[in-house]
Parts: sequence; C-alpha cells; structure tokens
Amino acid sequence: MLKRLLNNLEVRQIMKAEKLSEANQLPPEYVYVNGEPLCHEELDVLKACSNPPKKMKPGNYWYDKVSGLWGKEGQKPSQIISPHLNVGGPIKANASSGNTEVFINGREITKVELRMLQLAGVQCAGNPHFWVNEDGSYQEEGQKNTKGYIWGKAGMKLVCAFLSLPVPSKPSNSCGEQVNSLISRSVPDYLEQRTLLKLLLVGSSGSGTIGEPWMIRQRFFINLSLFTEDERENIKLTIQSNVYGYLGILLEGRDRFEEESLAAVTKEQSTDETEHIGSKSNTNCQTIYSIGPRLKAFSDWLLKTMVSGNLEAIFPAATREYAPLVEELLKDEAIRATYKRRNELEMLPSVSSYFLERAVDILRTDYEPSDLDILYAEGVTSSNGLACLDFSYPQSASDDKYDTEDQHDTLLRYQLISVHARGLGENCKWLEMFEDVGMVIFCVSMNDYDQFTVDGNGLSTNKMLLSRKFFESIVTHPTFEQMDFLLILNKFDLFEEKIERAPLTQCEWFDDFHPVVSRHRSNSSSNSINTSPSLGQLGAHYMAVKFKRLYSSLTGRSLYTSVVKGLEPDSVDAALKYAREILKWDEEKPNFSLTEYSMYSTEASSYSP
Amino acid sequence: MSVSELKERHVAAIETVNSLREQLKQKRRLLLDTDIAGYAREQGRNPVSFGPTDLVCCRILQGHTGKVYSLDWTPEKNKIVSASQDGRLIVWNALTSQKTHAIKLPCAWVMTCAFSPAGQSVACGGLDSVCSIFNLNSPTDKDGNLTVSRMLSGHKGYVSSCQYVPDEDTHLITSSGDKTCVLWDITTGLRTSVFGGEFQSGHTADVLSVSISRSNSRMFVSGSCDSTARLWDTRVASRAVRTFHGHEGDVNTVKFFPDGNRFGTGSDDGTCRLFDVRTGHQLQVFYQQHGDDEIPHVTSIAFSISGRLLFVGYSNGDCYVWDTLLAEVVLNLGSMHNSHEARISCLGLSADGSALCTGSWDTNLKIWAFGGHRKII
Repeated sequence: MLKRLLNNLEVRQIMKAEKLSEANQLPPEYVYVNGEPLCHEELDVLKACSNPPKKMKPGNYWYDKVSGLWGKEGQKPSQIISPHLNVGGPIKANASSGNTEVFINGREITKVELRMLQLAGVQCAGNPHFWVNEDGSYQEEGQKNTKGYIWGKAGMKLVCAFLSLPVPSKPSNSCGEQVNSLISRSVPDYLEQRTLLKLLLVGSSGSGTIGEPWMIRQRFFINLSLFTEDERENIKLTIQSNVYGYLGILLEGRDRFEEESLAAVTKEQSTDETEHIGSKSNTNCQTIYSIGPRLKAFSDWLLKTMVSGNLEAIFPAATREYAPLVEELLKDEAIRATYKRRNELEMLPSVSSYFLERAVDILRTDYEPSDLDILYAEGVTSSNGLACLDFSYPQSASDDKYDTEDQHDTLLRYQLISVHARGLGENCKWLEMFEDVGMVIFCVSMNDYDQFTVDGNGLSTNKMLLSRKFFESIVTHPTFEQMDFLLILNKFDLFEEKIERAPLTQCEWFDDFHPVVSRHRSNSSSNSINTSPSLGQLGAHYMAVKFKRLYSSLTGRSLYTSVVKGLEPDSVDAALKYAREILKWDEEKPNFSLTEYSMYSTEASSYSP
Repeated sequence: MSVSELKERHVAAIETVNSLREQLKQKRRLLLDTDIAGYAREQGRNPVSFGPTDLVCCRILQGHTGKVYSLDWTPEKNKIVSASQDGRLIVWNALTSQKTHAIKLPCAWVMTCAFSPAGQSVACGGLDSVCSIFNLNSPTDKDGNLTVSRMLSGHKGYVSSCQYVPDEDTHLITSSGDKTCVLWDITTGLRTSVFGGEFQSGHTADVLSVSISRSNSRMFVSGSCDSTARLWDTRVASRAVRTFHGHEGDVNTVKFFPDGNRFGTGSDDGTCRLFDVRTGHQLQVFYQQHGDDEIPHVTSIAFSISGRLLFVGYSNGDCYVWDTLLAEVVLNLGSMHNSHEARISCLGLSADGSALCTGSWDTNLKIWAFGGHRKII
C-alpha cells in the first residue's frame, strides 16, 4: 500500500525505520537457543557477529558452537553462522530430533544430513560420533587425526543445495565497514541523520589568530593527522614566522627596557653633581639591556620588516641567512634579561615561551613541526572556515579507533561542527543553516581578559569584551531561540598562572571581582576538601557566573558551563561528555529546573557561590 | 598632519556625506510623485485575473533528505539542479521528474547552485568559501561520484550565491559573506574582478545574492545584509554604479526584470521593491499587512516572462503571486492544497516562462505550470 502512495525511496526509508525502531526490535527473551532464553548481550553478540543468523524471529533454536551450525529446534540445520559465540546453553543431543545414531558435536543428526555425509564420502558405518569444525574438517570423537573436509569435495555445494542444507558462507558483516569516515560520510545515511546529534562549536572571534577554539578542534584534527604535505609545509612556515614575530616583540621590549634603564641611570647621574657627564652619548652607558652594534643592526632591520608587514616576504631565505645571527641573539645577555621580564611585554602571547625556548631548532630549514608544536601554534587553521567531525561515544583517550560494539549500544552518533567565526563574516547570517543542531558549544579563552586586539573598525579592544559581544549576538539570534548553550571556559591552566600576576579587573567587565582569599593558600592541587580554592578557581567561577547572568538576562534560560584545562585530553572529553548529558536530559525532560548549575573539572568545592 | 587633525577631517567629511545623502533623498521624494500602482490605477488598469486553476502543481520532485536551499533551471532542455542540506546536488529532468545526476558534495553546507548556459556543468558554493564546478559529462570515479572539475577559491567568507554570465560558460559571478562579489574565469580558476572589499567602496556587510541582467550581461546587481542593493558594471570594479537604499532589513534576494531596466529585491523586512536602474528611483513596494504576527521574510523572487507577475517566496511557506502593475496579490500558492509545508527557500522560472519551480525546507521541490488554456504572461 505504501508503494502506491509514495515513491520507492520513501518506502525504503520507512521500512528501514520500522525495522530499526526500538519497538519493533526482537526481544531477546523470546529467542531460545539450546533451551535457554537469551539475554540482551547475547542477542547483540548474535547480531553483530560476522555471520549473523538471518531472519531471527521469536522461537526455539539450536546452535552448535564448534561448527557454527544453526537451526530451528527439532529440525535440520538451516544456516551456518559464526562459530564460538557464547550464546544459549550447551547443545542437546536431540536438538534436531535426529534418529540416525550418528552424532556431530554431540547432536544426533537427521537423515538428510546423513545422506549428505555419505555423499561427501564420510564413513558413517557403525554410528560414529564426529567432531566437525567450522572449516568443515571433521574427526572422529576421541581421535586426533582430521579425517577430511565435509564441504571440500567438489559438488558438495550442489548436494547441499539440493538437500537444503547450509554451507559455510563468507562473512556478511565485516567490522571494517562499520567505521565511520572522518570528514564526510560516503552515503547519506538517511536514517542515521535522525539519530545523529549535531553540536555546533563556535569560538570567540579575535583578530583571527588565537581567537578560535583551536584547542578543541586541533586536538581532534591533529590526532587524526588531517594535514596534507602542503599544509604541513605551510604550518612550518607559520610557526617560523611566528617565532620571528615573537623575537621582534622581544627586541622591541629590549629597546624599551634599555631606554628606561638609561633614563634611570642618567637621572641618577644628573642628580649626582660631582660626576662630569660630558656628552650624553649612550654608547658610554652600558646597561644590561644593551647589545653589540652588529646585533643591533640586525634587530633594527627585523623590527622594520615587521612593522612594514613584510615578514612573510623575507621567507624562507631569512631562515637560512639569519639563523646563526638569531642564535647569537638568543644567547645574548641582553635578550636573556628581556626574556626574564617577558611578562611585562603585553604583546607577547604566553604561548611564545614554548617556541622561543626552542627557537634555534625551529628556525632551521629542516625543522619538522611536531604534533604538539602544531597544537600550540597560533594562526593554524583548517583551510576553510568550517570543519566537521563525526564520532560516537564512548571515546577513550585514543579516540581515533571506533568501537564497533557501540554500534548497537545506541544509534546515537555525534557530529561536531566547528566554525571559525571570523572566516565566515561578521554577520551571523550563516547561522540560519544550523538551526537544527542539538546544542551550541561556545568557547571562550579564559586568559583573554587582559589581551587586546584590533577589531573590525580598527579600534583596539579587549578580547574578552569581543568574546562577550559575539556571545551576545549568537545567543540572541532568532535561529537559536530554543537552543541549549554550553559555555566552555578554555585554557584554565594558562589562566590560573596568569591571574596570579595580572588581576582580573583589568577587563572592565570583571571589575567587581573581589575574591576572598584565605591566608593559607596552597598552590598546587591537593585532594583535601579543606583546601580553599586557588585564585584561578575563584576567577573561573566568577567568570562563569558573569556569563550565566548575562545569558539569563538575554534569554531567561540557564547556561551550562564547563571549565577546560589547556591541552589535557581528559578535560576536553569531560566537557564533551557533559554536552552529551545535557542532550540526554533534554530528551528526558527533567522535572526540576536547573538554575545556577555548573560543573567543574577541578576539585575545589568548599566555597559558596 | 597629525592624527587628531586627520580624525577631525574624517568626521567632517562623514557629516558632509550624510547631509548630501539627505538632500538626495529629499530630491528623490519630490521627483517621485507616485508609484507604479498609483499610476496604473489612474490609467484605469485592472488586476490580471488569476485564479487557483491557472497555476497548478504538476510535479513534485522528491528525493532530497535535507532542506532544499537553492535551485536553478537550464536555459533550455528543462533540467533543474537543486542543492540541499544533505550535501547533495540533484539534477532533475523537469518533464519526467527523473533524477539524472546526484552529486555528493565535499562540503555538506551548500547555499547555492547554478547551471551553466550550455547545461553541461553546475556550480555550487556554501560555507566552505569555495565555488565548486562539476562537469556533468565527466566520468564518475569508482564510488560513482562526480569529481569536482574546478574549485574557485579565494573568498574569505561563505559563498551565498552564484550565477553564470548569460551565454558564457567560462565566467561566473559569486557573492560572498566577505562583503565582496567576484567575477571568475573558470578556465584558469582565477578572479577576473573583485567588486567591493577592503580597499574599494562596496557593500559593508555580507552580500547575499546576485543577479546578472539578460539584456546587458555586463551589468549585475547585488543585495546585501547592509539593506542596500548595488548595481555594478563588470568593467569598473572599483566602485558600484549606483546604490539603492530603501529596504529596512537584509536584502535576501535580487532579480532583474526581464527587460533589464529594472530589478526587484526581497528583504527581511517583508517587502519586495522594484527599482529603476537608470534613474535610481524606487518604483514600487510590494507589501501586505499580516496583522500582529511576525512579519515573514522574503526569501526569493522571480519575475514572469513578461514581468507582469512577480512570484515571491516567504519564510512562512507562503508564495504570493503579485501583479506588478497594480501591486496586488492575485494568488497565494501557499494556501493551495498541495503547497509546501515549510519555508520556501528558493524559486525559479523556466527559460520559456511556462513553469515555476519552488524549493522548500520540507525537502521537496514543486513545479507549477500554467494550466489549461491559460496564456503564459
């Protein structure tokens, strides 16, 4: 009837839906194997084996573990499925109601089977008991030598077909095919789309470099070695030019420190009237920040190139010619002294120290960026503004293996769509395409609170405030009216470190942060619940509350938050697990209202909100 | 000159520009004493008689499993290509409803598709910021998929709309979320011209749609989220020929009138407007009050072959047929019994004007034809 109303494709879809829907699934208790009802796991094992029994209906069956023979209770074998499955009880002698007095693996076989054996040339005189393996080799019980192969003789297939007996077939379900492809699926799984939950991942838009949720995306994509040769080459150049950039900032800082200390020195000298200064030439005054003339020339040239924006233009020749100079520069006392004071250089991102320590290695022409390098590097993005990753839960630390056993756990699969907001235009018009995602994950880099960037109008703005603006525009977008949001506060480890030096109030939105800090603060994480939280934890909590209040003032609903440490995979997994649970809660419609609820990946819990 | 002085001059210059704009607006209002509908009524014209039997749904094209975002007809041979959120382009034979090609796209987030004038290739673009060209005659690979024959990359934002230059298989124009439109040479894959962008005066927000004039293929018009439509000459990429203000929301769609001297626009403010290319006037506003409900956005428009009818698709599933002369709705395809159940995202008229195809978020496409003895207008 359906066929008359709809076209073929829809009919297939509907039938497939019916087949796969929960209600129409075979209840395991109705299937008896060797006299015992199956439990859920056993049924799953049966279904997922490489050669599952076809057309499983409620009823009584017998199963021969050794050879894989399968049939209805009281009848001859109808199929040969995978052997050695742990289902049901032990096979009974009268499973097939045979009366031939010839036994295979403990089961009395039927007349038809006896006929087949005879045709196969098996000696059946004298009521033998045979032991048949899955490949068809048989031995007499109690004897070790393999007498032959039942299905080996030519024409056996024909005989078996004639007698309606099964022959071993190739596996129908090879596990390899069930692995999902990474970026795109080869066939649009029409049904799976319904049980595929999409998560949209957006990041605070910065000036394009460290603004993206590089952490989460790259964590997945690096593991899966997404980058091609060309892209690796590009990344290498990016990292190298970044290092030059950091070097430039360092040199600028050195200049500044030198001026400052010279000014201090001359001030001292001028107040001391007994000294004859003579000419105020700086070459006479040496401070710890001064470098020799050759290095100074190089430093000036590098700074000029940077300012004129031609840093890319000097690559890759620069690496060859200037590498020894750079090496010298880095060893120089002045640079080292500046490096010690790098916290005062606001243009220098905290991640630069990772690279500067190894600058000499990085700037060599044969440098190969390691995975960790790529992870930390700024400005490394996938080639377009959007990337997709399919995964199913559970995911272990080595998340690039897909557990095929999970296929029948639930049909739930997740698709993480990561968007580089900057690359898609400031206007959020493209968000309309995502109105069917299950949840939006918004990433905020926590240690942006004191960092500044140039926004679209050419004004220097605080990165955290830019994040907030973007957050507001997404949250209030009409497409996402009923959408759940999960806020991920990222880079907690870097933040924890930074907040000790630079107060949170540097960002005007956080100007009412007055932490109550106890006198006995322990620095590192200890498991005692009596430990008061670190400043970082207080800051993280405060930030989360600020965002929650903002969210509820804009939408009247509650925001889920999660704090994620920089590069720990477990931390990221925890956040994604939280996202999954939120989606599950939505499905089960909780009766309680969640107001100020948040989850932390740290263990401090002794402070009151 | 110091920075502060420069800033002062900048502010003063902006003020001058704004005041000039105001003056222009006033002058236009003076010159525009009436709109088309008013004049037509004075002349005693009557709305065209158009009833529910005049446009019937004769085909339903099913097969997409995701929302249909865009469609395009061939200039001849009656084929349609449609793009959908499931990541596929399907080429249909409009007369038989058979699918001749189903192209799997490398990026599932596709927003637009277009047929080449010869009907041999299709172009598509979306959130991946590239416009991909597929040659329908090329052999498929081992999985049965057509491979991309050319990728036009260079946009820094999503590709919202693309259209081939009429009668030229090798050039097409794309509009993008990076506020630019680009004219591409397909054989080399390079950009011939960039309209707008950082150093040129162009749109100041995402460009959503583009339409090339049939009578003069060097002129095209683009509509953008900055509520304006701009007319461009492909020979002069540095600035737009004219900017058309008037809308109060994002301009989602633009379409040239058949004679090429006017064009229509549709916007998030629920109105369609007709602008004159040569004078720059806004000739007509097509808007119907909906009471207190949310104003539905205009998602797509198309003119009938004579221009007398304007087909408009809305975000609430309605599809009005307007009489352009008298600015009245003569038919609502959305209220007919086999209408779409969700937002109409795209529509297009066949080359000979005998059929209209609408695509919707309910994953279907419907072809409407002039029924019976109805003359095609």
